[in-house]
Amino acid sequence: MNGKKILVATAALTIGALALTACSGGSSSSGSSSAAAGGNVSMTFWHNSTTGEGKAYWEATVADFEAANPGVKITIQAIQNEDMDGKLQTALNSGSAPDIFMARGGGKLADVVKAGQAQEVKVDAATKTAVGDAAFSAFTVDGKIYGMPMSILPGGIYYSKDLFKQAGITGTPATIADLEADVQKLKDAKIAPIALGAKDAWPAAHWYYFFALRACSQATLDKATTDKKFGDACWTKAGDELAAFSKTNPFNNGFLTTSAQQGAGSSAGLLANHQAAMELMGAWDPGVIASLTPDQKPLADLGWFPFPAVDGGQGAAGAMMGGLDGFSCSKAAPPECSKFLNFAMQKKYQEGYATAFHTLPASKDAQSVVTEGALVDVLASYNKAPYVSLWLDTLYGQNVGNALNAGVVNLLAGQADSAAIVKSVVDAAAKE
Amino acid sequence: MSDTLGEGKLAVTSSPEGPSAAGVGARKAPSPARRVGRSGWGQRLEIALLAGPAMVIFITFVMLPVLLAAYYGFFKWKGFGPPTNFVGLQNYVTIFKDSTFHDALAHNAVIVVLSLLLQGPAAVLLALLLNQKMRGRSVVRVLIFVPYVVSEVIVGTGWSLMLQTNGAVNGLLVKAGLPHWTVDWLSDPKIAIWSLMLIITWKYIGFAVILFLAGLQGIPQELFEAAAIDGASYWQTQRRITLPLLGPTIRIWAFLSMIGALQLFDLVYIIWGQYVAATAGTSTMATYMVVNGRNAANYGFGNAVAVVLFVISLILALTYQRFVLRRDTEGALTEGKK
Repeated sequence: MNGKKILVATAALTIGALALTACSGGSSSSGSSSAAAGGNVSMTFWHNSTTGEGKAYWEATVADFEAANPGVKITIQAIQNEDMDGKLQTALNSGSAPDIFMARGGGKLADVVKAGQAQEVKVDAATKTAVGDAAFSAFTVDGKIYGMPMSILPGGIYYSKDLFKQAGITGTPATIADLEADVQKLKDAKIAPIALGAKDAWPAAHWYYFFALRACSQATLDKATTDKKFGDACWTKAGDELAAFSKTNPFNNGFLTTSAQQGAGSSAGLLANHQAAMELMGAWDPGVIASLTPDQKPLADLGWFPFPAVDGGQGAAGAMMGGLDGFSCSKAAPPECSKFLNFAMQKKYQEGYATAFHTLPASKDAQSVVTEGALVDVLASYNKAPYVSLWLDTLYGQNVGNALNAGVVNLLAGQADSAAIVKSVVDAAAKE
Repeated sequence: MSDTLGEGKLAVTSSPEGPSAAGVGARKAPSPARRVGRSGWGQRLEIALLAGPAMVIFITFVMLPVLLAAYYGFFKWKGFGPPTNFVGLQNYVTIFKDSTFHDALAHNAVIVVLSLLLQGPAAVLLALLLNQKMRGRSVVRVLIFVPYVVSEVIVGTGWSLMLQTNGAVNGLLVKAGLPHWTVDWLSDPKIAIWSLMLIITWKYIGFAVILFLAGLQGIPQELFEAAAIDGASYWQTQRRITLPLLGPTIRIWAFLSMIGALQLFDLVYIIWGQYVAATAGTSTMATYMVVNGRNAANYGFGNAVAVVLFVISLILALTYQRFVLRRDTEGALTEGKK
């Protein structure tokens, strides 16, 4: 009697619960972006500038777009960069995706596209010419463009000219041997040579990527995109070279627990406060450093040089690696999403973007606005580079990128060798 | 150790007491059973109304996710759309073959054991001390309990800043003329786990002390008076009277501590970040799950790890309840086997 009653109650409640979840599931999928016919359109917009000029730039640009397009309302949500990937994935899974979201192309975006979660961005002719095919190729999946590049972010080594002078270094290192000599000079002058935010792992992995860029040919890098096998000897060579370089102890004390961008103790903060002389980073670094200097102004003596040459590699001399910051439209976004992205690519807004983020605009029309010393050098190298590879973690997707990150941290901590990096990638493939 | 998980577990383990208490009541008083017979549907409605909200929440947010995790764990799934690539038990095979998981499991075991060994005796002594009448007792009680109330994120951020290689602790050591004592508190694999244990002990000992203090209040004063008349010394009294009568409290505390230690996530994740925990030797099953499931976007695999974590915790919890908590929670889970 008693048991039967409980059973009945449970059954009734279970059905109730199922009905509840079913209802909520149905309503949320249609909730995020309702484009009423000819009426008001509202969109949500995720970017990663939580403070300062970048945040203000997006607020102003959105306000201008709304003024130019009555009836369109864009709700901005600024999300901390390290949280972006996870939150976006959760939002895409749950059907509450933002209409406009930050994307960096490569394998990560391809995964989203393959799952049918992104829609083609209709790029207008003027923007296409101004940006050029190279930048769009990172956002192209099966011949269609799924994202609008806003800035080009090639990587290289940022350094403090003052600290170099203090250590008696003239000129910038052209080879790894030069770099090692400079590291020694800085150490002799009691200056931490290279800041590294290994707590976030990807800055550590960048060192491996650049050694791989020098060791592997462009064809090898591209081939790994499809087969995700890292059997070529150049992958091990890159790991060995990084291990040998890290044996010279070039990184700041406690680099394993140093984060990349948060606060004065982060690697960007160390450079901003003259606590370390160099940092290997993408072209967003001058902006991050500017926000971490004592007076929150750009670092006056910031310089830049490309990653040094490595002997015996198959990578073309002058090849660069970097990323692109761009934005994509999710599958349920209204057509106004493409419209907004084209709007933000106009010369005026691209110049504003480059100024606000202290970085390089994707539109060539807006490049004249770049005047900060370090960025001028980056741009010059970029325009000369025979090819520019995407960051390998972006290129090879989240799973391989995650494994590379963890493998490189282990290598730098002295707990693994170059073979272990390749093995960690193979292990990760089993989990995919 | 994790607040939310720990409390969730507490709710789950204490809920069986509800039905059992009702069962005892039914046995003693037969009248409610007769009332059911008279007004069946009214009674059912009443039960549905009263138990309904809790049941709906429990089923939607506890049972359904557990079942879904078990389901997803059989797939290779990138997290988009419904899973289609059924792989059977392969995710589980991968987990048990993965040396990184073995490491995480070992770290969990160390944390479980050390939490009991470090916090237990210290908390008993502190509770005995704070049970004495003395000046400033309530201030000390509050101070010991404060770390437990402070959020894990704040504790983690604070300690990670202090223990960094260039942080306050090493700075203090240098200023105090002990530069040779400075070490990599967080990144040296030999030391990191001890740094973690220090933080855990500091954070959670207040909880144990408060529990034990409450337990001490429940020991009848007459026993101490009788012992005093018989000429027992202070330590004899504690050993023969206080400790045995504090037993149920200690056993429950040890249970909560073990479950918390198995599910430890937040402190490690905040202090060591997403990647360094495995390198520093402080990774736990929960951080392994997040790194290899969420960060790598292998959601099927991550769900399988969640199931393994759940099963390990469940086995430990049931074993402990069956053999250690048996007398304390008489009837909760052991009822049928009596």
